[in-house]
Amino acid sequence: MDVFLCISVFLVVCLVSVVQQGVWALLLWPSLFSSCLPLDCKEEQGSLSRCPSISQEKLLDRIIQHAELIYRVSEESCSLFEQMFIPFPLQFQRNQVGYACITKALPIPSSKSEIQQISDKWLLHSVLMLVQSWIEPLVYLQTSLDRYDAAPDMLLNKTKWVSEKLISLEQGVVVLIKKMLDEGMLTSNHSDQGLFQYDVQPEMLESVMRDYTLLSCFKKDAHKMETFLKLLKCRQTDKYNCV
Amino acid sequence: MAVSLSSSNLLLLLLISSLDWLSTPGSAFLMVRDHVTSLAPLEPHITECVSRDQETFRCWWSPGSFHNLSSPGSLRVFYLKKESPASEWKECPEYVHSNRECFFDVNHTSIWVPYCMQLRSHNSTFYNGDYCFTVENIVRPDPPVSLNWTMLNISPSGLSYDVMVNWEPPPSADVRAGWMRIEYEIQYRERNTTTWEALEMQPHTQQTIFGLHIGKEYEVHIRCRMQAFTKFGEFSDSIFIQVTEIPSKESAFPLTLVLVFGIVGILILIMLIVVSQQHRLMMIVLPPVPAPKIKGIDPELLKKGKLDELNFILSGGVMGGLPTYAQDFYQDEPWVEFIEVDAEEEDAGEKEDNQGSDTQRLLGLSQPASHHLTISFPDDDSGRASCYDPDMPDQDTLMLMATLLPGQPEVEEASLDVVKRAPAPEKSERPLVQTQTGGPQTWVNTDFYAQVSNVMPSGGVVLSPGQQLRIQENTSGIEEETVKKGKEHKGSEGTEENKQKELQFQLLVVDPEGSGYTTESNARQISTPPSSPMPGDGYQIIHPQHVETKPVATAEDNQSPYILPDSPQSQLFAPVADYTVVQEVDSQHSLLLNLPPRQSPPPCLPQHPLKALSSMPVGYITPDLLGNLSP
Repeated sequence: MDVFLCISVFLVVCLVSVVQQGVWALLLWPSLFSSCLPLDCKEEQGSLSRCPSISQEKLLDRIIQHAELIYRVSEESCSLFEQMFIPFPLQFQRNQVGYACITKALPIPSSKSEIQQISDKWLLHSVLMLVQSWIEPLVYLQTSLDRYDAAPDMLLNKTKWVSEKLISLEQGVVVLIKKMLDEGMLTSNHSDQGLFQYDVQPEMLESVMRDYTLLSCFKKDAHKMETFLKLLKCRQTDKYNCV
Repeated sequence: MAVSLSSSNLLLLLLISSLDWLSTPGSAFLMVRDHVTSLAPLEPHITECVSRDQETFRCWWSPGSFHNLSSPGSLRVFYLKKESPASEWKECPEYVHSNRECFFDVNHTSIWVPYCMQLRSHNSTFYNGDYCFTVENIVRPDPPVSLNWTMLNISPSGLSYDVMVNWEPPPSADVRAGWMRIEYEIQYRERNTTTWEALEMQPHTQQTIFGLHIGKEYEVHIRCRMQAFTKFGEFSDSIFIQVTEIPSKESAFPLTLVLVFGIVGILILIMLIVVSQQHRLMMIVLPPVPAPKIKGIDPELLKKGKLDELNFILSGGVMGGLPTYAQDFYQDEPWVEFIEVDAEEEDAGEKEDNQGSDTQRLLGLSQPASHHLTISFPDDDSGRASCYDPDMPDQDTLMLMATLLPGQPEVEEASLDVVKRAPAPEKSERPLVQTQTGGPQTWVNTDFYAQVSNVMPSGGVVLSPGQQLRIQENTSGIEEETVKKGKEHKGSEGTEENKQKELQFQLLVVDPEGSGYTTESNARQISTPPSSPMPGDGYQIIHPQHVETKPVATAEDNQSPYILPDSPQSQLFAPVADYTVVQEVDSQHSLLLNLPPRQSPPPCLPQHPLKALSSMPVGYITPDLLGNLSP
């Protein structure tokens, strides 16, 4: 009897440690987390699905978790960048980067009253637009940061992580749209906006300022994405008391 | 060229920024302003803009040192919403002049859109610096509400405890819909201290505070902020936590101690009692089994199976070695009753039965002596080890002899005394000298004596009925003397060996038919006195002078009264048919009996008894007379 107790305790401890490690893995290696869900699984009519299915609520929860994490990491990156490269007097500019952001042209609601008026479909589509519009600029940001001399590794890792997570977030949103709205696969129209000209090497200060603007804008949009998704979830669970 | 221009611009910018670094830290807008106007009077400026719920926000301004502009309406607030490049400055939608506040309601509030604020005076003076922000960055949530605590547990030492604090999110923040994601921070401190302890921020509405001390009062408050944002809200109102000592637990501890010690003490007492009274308890709990014990016989003999010695003892070789008479024998019970052949037969009161039994016993006396011994000895002992007083045999013997001999009042008294002392006799206190007692006369004339007419070669004794065998007074006196001696010599208890040495009697049976005297062996075989009640007047002639101590085993216990002092050389005269009376004692100290003519006078006759006999009607010898008898 005692041996059995020992073994069971040992197993519980192992399990707890595994779970803990799983949580850490989720935080530090989000790619693992994303790989758990094969979003590119193609379900065909009339054939047995090879992929494990996931419920809509769970999918939405996972998407929201992604968005929250992305926002947090982006906020940390921005702060880090600001401390490293931006002189203090210029730091106030992060608050007025509104029309410098690349996504200002997108028809995305910006007030709670507006959000109350749009539908779920439009919410989801807004999120998707945001996500898709930021994939390429983040890649550019990564290359730009690599050119810095004193860029800390943590900053680089964070930005890299964010760009990767954004791609998986896009996949999740696409699946969710397909499930929720029964729409077909939306091709990610990565419109080449031509904002970034790689051939011209910007000056250090400009580059810094541009990167700073990018990071600030992305942080804002990440917060927007997270809020939209949460509102959507509220609408799914309790329709009458939500925004 | 462009490069040089850009580099110069860069240098200029750097210079300006370096200058700005020297100024005090603060909001960017204010810092720049202060640097520029460090010596100039303070201009009117926007103090702060704050949103509580991410749906509305307010802005406050200050006139600065320009007091002439402090009146309401002198300064106007304008904002610019940078939604598109074509945005325009608009005036504050709602003024709260009492607070110098500009309130932006839900319709005028857009999230994720930059706002810029501006103060303008009446005469359209623009003031430098813009106060720009996005609404989500200026959110400071209201403090949580309904803060309370519950005790979780107390440490085993009773000195510290844990507390669970829980609260509700601020009602203004729409947390349930997910519009705002809030995390909370709890701070606590001991009363009347200055530094607060801050716990880790977490988004749940409850948190545990560990390690609070009993008796101390703690102050707890909470604040919150949007997750991943920097601006905290205001602190909530403080609550106070205090837990006083719990006396019940304290008192329970010594109570249990007292109980434990009490129980242990009682157990020790019981153990002591058990150990001290072990023997008594053992007696009560486990009474000893009666061991086979025969009065006057060493149990060792019984164990080791020394039958020869046992037979010797039991056959009466030791006079008085085996006291055979029970206590109650000396009471007014007929002598006959004591004679029992069977152990089961307790009441053998009839003479005929006894006579028959006696005769049968005498005739069928081929059984081992020990058998008779055990049968006829109604020992009332309950089996107590050596409970039988070895002095009893002497006493019993004495008593029996006393009762046998009729008599002297002194003897009576002595006998009575002996009877009294029977229960707890002291050997040294036996004044039994004259055991001649006139005791129960009844049984004197009963079948006490029986004349042995013949002794058969097989060992059987033929008794002639109607004859009475009496022990001569001298014999009894000798017996008494020896008994007395024996008693005096006794100093220890249970010395049966001493008795054997000192009290040796032999039963002499005279054959009235002249067949001769009975030898020692014959005498041994005589187990019981004849029970034929014949009031005879014959006397037995004995040789008192040969009182030698010989270890003679008596055949039976009840044989002792008949044990006569004898010597192997004693020669009795020819057996007489009847008992004869000693008429006189001649000069040779021989008894002259009124014998028939064919009888020859005995060679040794005591002389003294004649004198005594003449005076005595019965013809017994008293001890003093006995003393005169000398061989």
